[in-house]
Amino acid sequence: MNVTWKLPDGSEISADVADGTNMMEAAVANNVPNVIGECGGSLACATCHVYVDEAWVGKTGSVEDFEDAMLDATEAEREPNSRLSCQIVASDDLDGLMLIVPQA
Amino acid sequence: MTVWTPTDDGYADLSSHDTFEQGAPHNTFKRLRDEDPVSWTEYEGGENYWSVTRQADILEMNRNTAVFSSARGIRMEDQSYEEYLARRTFQETDAPEHMKTRIKVAKAFSKPVIAQFEQEIGTLCDEILDEALSEDSFDATKTIARELPMRMLGRILGLPEKDLPWLVEKGDALIANTDPDFTDHVLDKMQTDEFRMMPFNSPAGAELYLYAKDLMAQKEAAGDTEGVLHMILQPDKDGNTISQEEFRNFFCLLVAAGNDTTRYSIAAGIQAMCHQPELLGQMQTGDIWATAPDEIIRWATPALYFRRTAAQDYEAHGKTIREGDKVLFWWSSGNRDERAFDAPMRVNLARENNRHVSFGQGGPHVCLGMWLARLEVRVLFQKLAKRISHIEADGEHKFLRSNFVGGIKSLPVRIKRA
Repeated sequence: MNVTWKLPDGSEISADVADGTNMMEAAVANNVPNVIGECGGSLACATCHVYVDEAWVGKTGSVEDFEDAMLDATEAEREPNSRLSCQIVASDDLDGLMLIVPQA
Repeated sequence: MTVWTPTDDGYADLSSHDTFEQGAPHNTFKRLRDEDPVSWTEYEGGENYWSVTRQADILEMNRNTAVFSSARGIRMEDQSYEEYLARRTFQETDAPEHMKTRIKVAKAFSKPVIAQFEQEIGTLCDEILDEALSEDSFDATKTIARELPMRMLGRILGLPEKDLPWLVEKGDALIANTDPDFTDHVLDKMQTDEFRMMPFNSPAGAELYLYAKDLMAQKEAAGDTEGVLHMILQPDKDGNTISQEEFRNFFCLLVAAGNDTTRYSIAAGIQAMCHQPELLGQMQTGDIWATAPDEIIRWATPALYFRRTAAQDYEAHGKTIREGDKVLFWWSSGNRDERAFDAPMRVNLARENNRHVSFGQGGPHVCLGMWLARLEVRVLFQKLAKRISHIEADGEHKFLRSNFVGGIKSLPVRIKRA
């Protein structure tokens, strides 16, 4: 699948991501700034926070309990489309996914 | 010039606390990274263990909690199951128990909440530096590094100022429990098993427990529901609360972890300033504050390792780690790995993409207090750099006797005020 990160300065980074890879790992591998992933994707740090583009919110799954709690600990303001990108896993259904990276 | 040159012969005994009195044995770690990155290591005091020394392997294994469990202890020393149960904190649990505890306090230690303490930390730093810099030469660990973290933790937990020196002393006795300068009950020389059910196998654990219990009773009587200690006592959404024992251990963990890890980061940063004189100028003029705290914390690596226990067999670098084997992730070695860091034996305050592992990055147990640590380190060095024009070593620094806590316990320096 292909994913695009929209950065705070308006620029974009796009990458092809293998199925099963999560969007935090994909962001780190593609040097997307401000998606850090200090806990390796285990829902303990909230440093991979992104906003999911409105068109994709329904397709990226729901927020589970621990993710919900950690979304209260993000640096940028929590919005209804806030997610921890380690919890969004690449699949064919998400081809074309657009994620918005918060301001540092 | 490097900050200091390791003197070990490349074959140091990693299990010996004495080894680390000369600083971490980085020649040994380098040899292991190059020749034997997953190495079977002898330990006279108990079961042998695996040493993992490369940064990439540490990150890979640390996230793999299905194999590498925290729930059988996190230090090299062996524990019986009953000791483990009595002494464990949420550091010594796996998912989902670990997260159930962690989410209660995650927000209180999150970056935006911690950021609100910046001014308060600045005021504390000013007070500490006013006192310390009134002399031309002093021990920087004792007068600067030792003061800030506990005084700040006291504020966050809502502890009375007058109790803080006592708490610093007890925190030291807990975590530096292999150094005779900090405890009368040196862990590997103890003739008694009287304290084996206490946090950190230390009598200080019992004293801290009584202190925390009294404190909470007083707070409850006064209707005071502020602070992290109150949060941890609240039931989770299923109505579960933590036991008295778990509360005691959580409090001890905060005191121990909040006390000396940031202290030794600050000490290592000051030590680096003494030996790489360009650092002071960079702090005064350069735009390095986005990267400097992590570099200082990489350089310091106050937690030298954490242990896991294999829950199933695992292959790495031609070795088979067997179910039940102890595995030590040597953060100290990972942070000097040439595969991950250019010139790792130098402090580079502008280091970009600094994937150091001082906070146990890469896994669910990543340091809860990492934002507080970074903020304290940044503010302290920003203030210090403004107030001095020169700093140099004024005698030899001394390292702690511990293969678990990497710290400079004595750091004589001479300064010129700006």
